[in-house]
Parts: sequence; C-alpha cells; structure tokens
Amino acid sequence: MSDELVKKTDTRSVTQNKFKRIVNVAGIYGVVVLFVILGVVLQALGIINNFLTATNMLNIVDAVSMLGIVALGMAFITYSGHFADLSVPTTMALTGIVAVQMLQFGFFVAILSAVIVGIVIGLINAFAIGKLKVNPIIWTLALNYMTLGVIRVVWANKQIYPDMISSSEHATKLFDNIYRLRFFNKIALPMIMLLILVVFFHFLMSKTRYGIQLKMTGAALKAAKFSGINVEWMIGSAFVLSALTATLGGLTVTSLSRVGAWYNGAGYDFKAVTAIVIGGMTLAGGRGSIIGVLGGVLIIGLMNNLMTLLGVGTFSQDMIRGIIFIVVVGLNAKSLRSMGRDDA
Amino acid sequence: MGDRDTSKPAFVMEQVSKVYTGTIAVDKVDFEVFPGEVHALVGENGAGKSTLMKMMAGSFDDYTGKIAVNGQEVELKSPAQAKRNGIEMIYQELSLALPISVAENVLVGRLPKKGLFIDKEKMVEETTDNLSKVGLEHIDPLIPIEDISQHEAQLVEIAKALGNNPSILVMDEPTSALSREEVERLFEIIDGLRKTGLAIVYISHHLPEIFRIADRVTVMRDGKRIDTRDIGDVSKEELVQMMVGKSVTEFYRHETYSGEEIRLEVENLTRKGFFHDVSFHAYKGEILGIGGLSGAGRSELAQVLVAIDKKDSGSIVLDGKEVKASNMAQALNEGIAYLSENRKTEGLATRLSIRDNILGALVPKLSPNGIYDKKKGDPVLEKLIDALSIYPPDAEREVSTLSGGNQQKVLMAKWIAVEPKVLILDEPTRGVDIGAKVIIHNAIEALAKEGRTIILISSDLPELVSLSHRVMIMRQGHFIKEMQKAECNEESVLLAANGEGA
Amino acid sequence: MMLNKLNRNEILSMGDKFRIYVLLVVVFITMTIFAPHFFNAWNLTSIMKTVSMNATVAIGFTIILIVGQLDLSVGTIITFAAVIGLGLKGAVGYGLSVPLAIVAGGLIGLINGVLVAKVKINSFIVTLGMLTALQGAIYTITGGNTIAVTDHQAFAISDWLQHQIIPMVTPRVIITLVLVIGSSVFLRKTRIGRNFFMVGGNSQTAWLAGVDSDSYTIVAFVISGVMAAIGGILFAMESAAATLNLGTNSLMYVLSATIIGGTSMAGGKGGVFRSFIAIVTLTMLYNGIVLLGLGNEVQIFISGIILASVILYEAYVEFKHEKLVGQRPELLKELEAAQ
Repeated sequence: MSDELVKKTDTRSVTQNKFKRIVNVAGIYGVVVLFVILGVVLQALGIINNFLTATNMLNIVDAVSMLGIVALGMAFITYSGHFADLSVPTTMALTGIVAVQMLQFGFFVAILSAVIVGIVIGLINAFAIGKLKVNPIIWTLALNYMTLGVIRVVWANKQIYPDMISSSEHATKLFDNIYRLRFFNKIALPMIMLLILVVFFHFLMSKTRYGIQLKMTGAALKAAKFSGINVEWMIGSAFVLSALTATLGGLTVTSLSRVGAWYNGAGYDFKAVTAIVIGGMTLAGGRGSIIGVLGGVLIIGLMNNLMTLLGVGTFSQDMIRGIIFIVVVGLNAKSLRSMGRDDA
Repeated sequence: MGDRDTSKPAFVMEQVSKVYTGTIAVDKVDFEVFPGEVHALVGENGAGKSTLMKMMAGSFDDYTGKIAVNGQEVELKSPAQAKRNGIEMIYQELSLALPISVAENVLVGRLPKKGLFIDKEKMVEETTDNLSKVGLEHIDPLIPIEDISQHEAQLVEIAKALGNNPSILVMDEPTSALSREEVERLFEIIDGLRKTGLAIVYISHHLPEIFRIADRVTVMRDGKRIDTRDIGDVSKEELVQMMVGKSVTEFYRHETYSGEEIRLEVENLTRKGFFHDVSFHAYKGEILGIGGLSGAGRSELAQVLVAIDKKDSGSIVLDGKEVKASNMAQALNEGIAYLSENRKTEGLATRLSIRDNILGALVPKLSPNGIYDKKKGDPVLEKLIDALSIYPPDAEREVSTLSGGNQQKVLMAKWIAVEPKVLILDEPTRGVDIGAKVIIHNAIEALAKEGRTIILISSDLPELVSLSHRVMIMRQGHFIKEMQKAECNEESVLLAANGEGA
Repeated sequence: MMLNKLNRNEILSMGDKFRIYVLLVVVFITMTIFAPHFFNAWNLTSIMKTVSMNATVAIGFTIILIVGQLDLSVGTIITFAAVIGLGLKGAVGYGLSVPLAIVAGGLIGLINGVLVAKVKINSFIVTLGMLTALQGAIYTITGGNTIAVTDHQAFAISDWLQHQIIPMVTPRVIITLVLVIGSSVFLRKTRIGRNFFMVGGNSQTAWLAGVDSDSYTIVAFVISGVMAAIGGILFAMESAAATLNLGTNSLMYVLSATIIGGTSMAGGKGGVFRSFIAIVTLTMLYNGIVLLGLGNEVQIFISGIILASVILYEAYVEFKHEKLVGQRPELLKELEAAQ
C-alpha cells in the first residue's frame, strides 16, 4: 500500500503500545474481579456460604500457589512460541519422590537431589527441543511417559513416606514445612514463593535482555536467529526454567500430600496451560506477561473455589475447566483474527 | 513480438474500481489484453497493481465496473468463477504442496478416475504431457515436490496452470527468485505460450525484463491507470517518470572512490559445497559490490562472514585482527552485520513493533548488565525513523501493517543502528518502490561516507553498477573477476556473471 | 547430479516406508526366541485383541496426522463410547446403544473438527481441552465405577466376538482388518482419499483447487472420533465390561505407532496400513516384555523410549539434512579431485 493508503487503515489494532498492554492485563484482572463479585452475589443470595471469608480467600490463594509456581515457569515456554511442557506432571512427581527418598540423608541433600533431577529433565527437553527441534508437544508427552515408567520401575509402584525414610525428625519437619510453614499464622510459604517468583519472573521477562530476546524468539524465530540471538539457547533455557518451577511445585505438592508417589502432579500440565492462556499469553509466542498469567491463575483458583462451594463434583469441575479452556482460546483466536492477525 | 491478434481482446476491464474502507485501491481503471500478447503491468508498491491482479483472480466480490472475457461480460466474484472463465494465476509464492507428488499437484482437483479409483497410468501420462509444455518431461511425476529444485517447482506451477487450458495467464513477479539462465528459459516458455494465442499479463518491477518480453505496458499510480503504451514507443526513463510522477533525474549516482585503508581481508575462505577459496579485500568507506547469478554462493558467503554458518577453512581479518566469531552474536560484537535477502522471514519480526525490530539487534548493547532500559533506545529510534522517512513514524506500529518499502527501511534501520564496521547487504531493495529505493541508496552512501565498509550483494544490475566502487563477480562458488568502477556497466557485469568476457 | 540427489531421497523415503515391516519381523523373531509362552495360540490371540482396538483407533489418528492435525482426545473417546455403549444396554439394548456410542464418538469428533477448522483454534488445544472435559464427564456419568453387563445376551455376544474362526482370527480381528484395508485403499486410491493428503500438504493449494480443507479437516476429526468409538465399544463388548482406564494407554500406543509407521507429523504423508503394522509390532513388543517378566512399568518406560527415539531420529535426520541443503555437487567434486 502507498503511504497515504496506510494512513487510513484502522489504527486501533496496529500498535503495541503500553496502553494496550495495560488494558489487556486490566481485562484479565477485570475477570478476576467479576468472579469475586459473582461469589459475593451467590453468597448474598444464600446459594453458597463462606465465600467472602478470610479463610476462604486464603484457601484460594493457597490452592493456586502451587499451580501458579508451575504456570509461571511454563509461561516462558509459551512465550518462546513452543506451546507447553507436558512433562511437568511427572517431573513434579519424580522430583518429589526423589526428595523423599533422599530425606534419609537429610533435608538439604533431599532438596538438592530434587533440584538436580529437575535440571536434568530440563536439559533433556532443552536439547531435544532447542537443538534438535523436535515437536515440543509430542516430545514432552513422550518424556512424561518415560519418566512415569522410570518412577514406577525404580520405586516398584510403591509410595514412600517422608516420616518413614527420613534421617531425623527435624528433616521430616522441614520437609513438611515446605507446604505448611506459615508466616504471621496466615501466609503460607508456597504463597511467598509464588510472590517472589512473580516479581522475579516479571522483571526477567519484561525488563531484561533475556526477556526481550525471548520475545523476539517467540514472535519470529528465524528473524531472531538472523539478529544474532542464540535461539537454541533461548528455547532450551525456557524448558529448564519450566522444569525448575515444576521441581519447586513438585516438592510443594509432595510436602502437601506427605507421600512420594507417581501421581503427584497429575493434571498440572493442563491446568498450567489453561492459566497461561486465560492469562492472555497467545500460543503463537512473543505476546503476554507474567502479571497476566498470575491473573489467569487467580481466575482458575476462583473458578475452582466457586465450583466447590456450589457442590460441583471434582470430575465435573474437570469437564467445566476443559470447556472453558476451549472457549477462552477460541474467543482469543476470534478476536485476533477479526483484527487481521492469526495468532493463536 | 507482434503475434497478437488485435481484433478481439481476450480480456477487458472497463472502469473497474475497488474500494477498501476509506481508501480507493483501484480507481476506474481500463485494462485489456489481446490473445497472443504479453501485456506488462508496472507501478510502485501501492499503485494498485496487486489489487488489480487480485480482481482478476476473483478475490473480491465487491468491485464495480465491467469485465469481459473473450467478448462476453462476466463476473469475477470468486476464484472459482475466475478459473471457469479461463483465467489462471501464477503467484510469487508457490502454491504447490511439498510432500505431495508432482502429478497430484499438477492435476489437483481433477485426478483421472477409473470407476471409483484413481487411474494411475492416465495420471502419469497426463502429467508428463503437461510437463512437456514447460520442458520438464524428464521429471518423474510420482516424486514429491520437495525433491525437485525451486526453479523446476516454479515451472511445475506453470504447467499446473496451463493444464486448465486458460485463455488468460497472469504472472506476478515470476522472475524474482530466478537466476539469469532460469529467466531466459522462462522467457522462452512465455514466447511459446504467446504463439499459441494465450493472453499473458506480466506484473514486474524489472524494467529491463519488461522491455525484453512485453508487447505493451500499462503504468499504474495511486490506483489509477496512467497510460498504456506499445513497448517500442516508450523509454525506461519515461516509464519511471510515469510510475513516480516526477522527473527522476540523477536517480543513479556515480561516485568514484579513492580510499586506501584496508578494512577487511578474506583469504581462502571455504565452506564445503557452497563456495571455495574465496579471497578478497575491502577498504574503509568502500561499497564493494558482489555480482553473480543466483546460486553463485553470495548469500552463503555473507552468512559465513557473519558467522551464522561455520567456515571450513580460510581466514577473515578485520582491521588487522583475525575474526574468531563462532556465532552471529560474536560477529556483531566484532563489527560485522548482515541484512538478509528474505525480509519477511529472516529479517523482520512482522508481529512486533517498529521499535522492537529496529532495536532488535541492538538489545545486547542497550542492556549492559542484563537489564534492558527501554528509554535508552529512544534517541536511536527517533533518529532512524526520521533519517529513513519511515512511514507512519509511529514506533509502536506493528511492522506487518507497513508497505514493502517501509518494511525494508525498518530492516535497514535495524542494521544501521548497530553501527557495524562492515555491513553486508543482500538484495536491499528487492520488492521495494522507487521512493524507498532512493532513500535506501542514500543511506548506503551515507554509511560509506562515514567510513564503514559496505558489501553489496544485488541482482539489480543498475543498483549494483551505480552504487559500487568495485564489483567482484562470483560464479558457482568462486570469485572469478574483479571489476573497477570504470569497466562496470550492466552488460559487462552480466557477461562476467555468466562466465564470459573474462 | 540430480540423479544422485534423487537416489538419496528415494532411499530415505523407501526407508520410511519399509522400516516398519523390517521392525515387525525383527520383533516377532526376537520375541519368539526369547520370550516364554510368546508363540502360542492363546498369547497371539491375546495380542490380536489389543491390536484390534488400537488399530481401529489408529486408522482415524493416521488420517488426522495426514491432514496436519493432532487428536489428543482419542483415548477418552474410546472410554466414553464404551461407557455409553455398555451403560445404555440395559435401557435400550445393544441394537441401539452401540450405534449411539458410535454416533457419540462422531459428535465429539465433529465438535473437535469445527473448533479446529472453523473457529481456528490449534488442534492441540482443542483436543487437550476435550480430553479433560471428557474425562470429567466419564467419571461423572459412571460415578467412578466400572460398567459391567451381565445378562445372557451380553455374554453371548462377548463369546461370539472372541471365538476363533481360524487360529488368532476372531470376528473383531476381521472387523478391524476390513476397516484397515478399506481405509487404506480409500486413502491411496480414491480422489477424496488423496485430497486428505493435499489438505495436509498445502491447504491453500487444496482450497484453490476447489478442495475445501475445512470440510476435510472436520471429516478427519469425525472419522477419528468414530474409529475410536468403534474400537472402544467392540473391546468393551468382548470384555462385557467398560473400565474407566480402557483407553488411557491408547494415546501413546496410537501416537507412537503412527509415527513409527512413517506418517509424518507435518501432514501430507503417511499410510493406514503402515500404522496397522506398527501397532502389531508394538503390541508384540510390549507383550513380550511382560512375558519376559519385566513388568508393566518397564513396558511404559519402553514405550516412551521408543516414541522418543523415533522422534529424535526423525529430527536428527532433518537436522543433518538442513546442514547440507544447498550444497553444490560440482563444488564437492572439486574437493574430491583436489584430494
């Protein structure tokens, strides 16, 4: 188009300024507020009880801190245009069970071992997807399966209990505390971890060279490569980050359930992707923010809470979450396409 | 030329217009093509020729005006309708499916049947028939497209279009990715098609080609038809004038150079299978052109110089120090940059803003301790948007909404921003309108005046010849000749690129 | 020059096509030699049982990959159909409940297909969401319990499905073979069948030639849903029970087999019969592992490794290929001559 023609094009959808991004994020938190209002209304109508209590609110944040931790790490993968990490569930389980197993050597050894295992998984993914360029969905799905096999072979299908293995009561207590330690009697450790991660990751993604280059990698892989960005490293690092947060999440979940087992972490892959997508990050990469993902996590937390208070069964909740997921992505896709972009 | 049957036009567009919300892309244009004629359509980007072409392809159902094919008035409101009326399109991007066999591509949608099943023998026979029209009868129709060369694939594309027995063939920039030999071959085919009475619409930026192949030429500007002339009755300068709307004198510069300090010394550089034993040197402030046919290895050479690909042997010395970069980031650090010829896929991140793109390679420098300060890039951004007249001058604008010329300016700005010692440009004005071309050429010369070394890879002979201070000719992976400014003109460079006149 | 290149590519694609047959023979011979109780009628029949279900599902999955999509929900569709088919038997009998189950599978496929083709959501997302939703639905409907049918008719049918017409060949096997061969021929030799490949190869081209890629995509998902339903319901009828994890392992099986069998994830290439052979090979392999005393867990592990290996291999080949793309043969000859 000649310059004059370009001038007359609809400018609403063509800029990427800060204002628009703020509006996007505000929109997500708007939905959060909407859900809260919904809860209040339902409570006022007597349909549910105990929604607007401090305990319940804290419960909500509690429940989603683990999801949040995992989702924040995976968000880097989505940001880089490589969809998701479906090996998260078994990474969580494996790191958890390794930690419990190593409790016999003390708390710190246990944590260290778990972190090492997590890093190894992350590096495997990084190599396969970053360097060899395998399809990330199929690969992480396969790795998930392999890791499951490893867990079940090595631990012969058994579950192990921290208090039974641990080298000392002190070690057990520390491990227990990963989930249960509370500050001021109210704020749980996982929540603090989540907040720290939010601050750190948001800074990492939006204000560092790493984050900017990751954005370019997600938005235009080849162009990023031809700008001197080491895309293999970028993509690989995102998978390592995801594995690390999965480790943190795995330790927390295992601490919560007080048992090392192969099923810790089940379902977290889907929940994390849902949170990320609801949080405004498109699957095409290069768009979205950590704050947005946090909003998505909160929305899921509120949704789950409301459903539970309404007496909806766990499995029905699954069903509803699946449907909402599709709807959100669909709406996102539709609105982007009407603006002339094919993003999702 | 002159086989055309002027008694009855094959295709007529009368006062056609197409309006997008708020803009008139095509404004009451008259256009006609006779059977056996090659009618060229030229104009700057944004002149409306692609919209006109899309109209012919049936992409719009809301155009106004009359269209007639072979004397009969028709409606071209869908691609299917266009096809039914005998109009076939050949686009720049191939419309072939790579993993699928040649035969199934050529005969797509009309595979011969024997009862319920496909008649394989007939399919092979028909395909070979079609392929022979473009000289490809030796290709096995059952191999997938991804197994044949790019050039052959384009010919298959033509064979596919011909298979539908069109009366009108529309070709959009068919030669942009071809080497000189391949262009010749294509012209032979077009000549043959012309003799069979096919009406051909030929859209191109390449004026020399048009003078070779077309019978008539229509110039469009700002959505309107400016004029239609017989090719023998018009000169290149007149065409350019009509396209640009103002007299463009001094379009191509002629600077002579008198520099002395060597900046870049390349010795025996080899990348197995791509180029061998390349040696040359370049001075500070010089624009060194690299000419050659496509496939000669020029882009591959550039990519090794900037460490995107690894060299197998040889040395690169920059300002006296050997370049030890093993990846592009290091090369950039040392001062070598590369503007890729594929602006849409390798050059720009079209989903991101002008700011993100222009500062894309500058990020490392703007974030000394890992932290990126957004404001730091503002001065550079403003300066470049202004210097290159990037329109619209809105740094947050998404690059995909810019015209081709402006996109190329953004890409150029990106590499100017890193202030390289050596800047390698690969087809810097491909697919760009004349206004932007001038601006980019000025920028290139300004860079040279600053003392930077420019290596200019270009298939645009006038551009290569007028900008370069020296021209190295590359052919089939070797540097075969060095030509000084004085001996450079389009013919001599072309001859040299073909390996003759040595 | 071009001849050389052709030969290399030809060899690679022939390799793609025939490696699964080679693998089949290798696995079969290895297991026969090393695994106790492998080579007997009872075991082989048992293998064919699992094969029948997964092979049917693989038909649909192969077509999905050919059009360039992904269907992660097949496992849950299998279970869902089984639950509906058996669950409704009491109320309306097999005559109605079985068709209903198959229609249900088709409907789910239709929803998947429309979301992917018309609303243009990535198929990974759609089928991941559908998988979760269906899982929830299944548990909600069954209350977490296995559905068993215990009336005379059910057992009679179950027996019939299991009886061997000739050794190893039961009616279910026959049904599966018919479906496999039928779809294979359909895909390779009919216009409509070839169009699926075109849609996966380049949907723009397909569209320009009048082949509506959206419709073909939707149909592919419907076929996938129907096939998954058929596989699930037949298996359940034979067992006279629908367990909640009926289809859980199938995704891995079918995904690995289709890819190992040479169907490309990028679309436009592949074959139903090859997927079938791959399923037979994998099933034999897993069966042998268990017979060798290595346990279920090892089987899970191995299946993950196999899939990973195949993907890695394909990626590695692509990786090496990329490095060499564009090399001029004449130049390479020069180097040889210089040495």
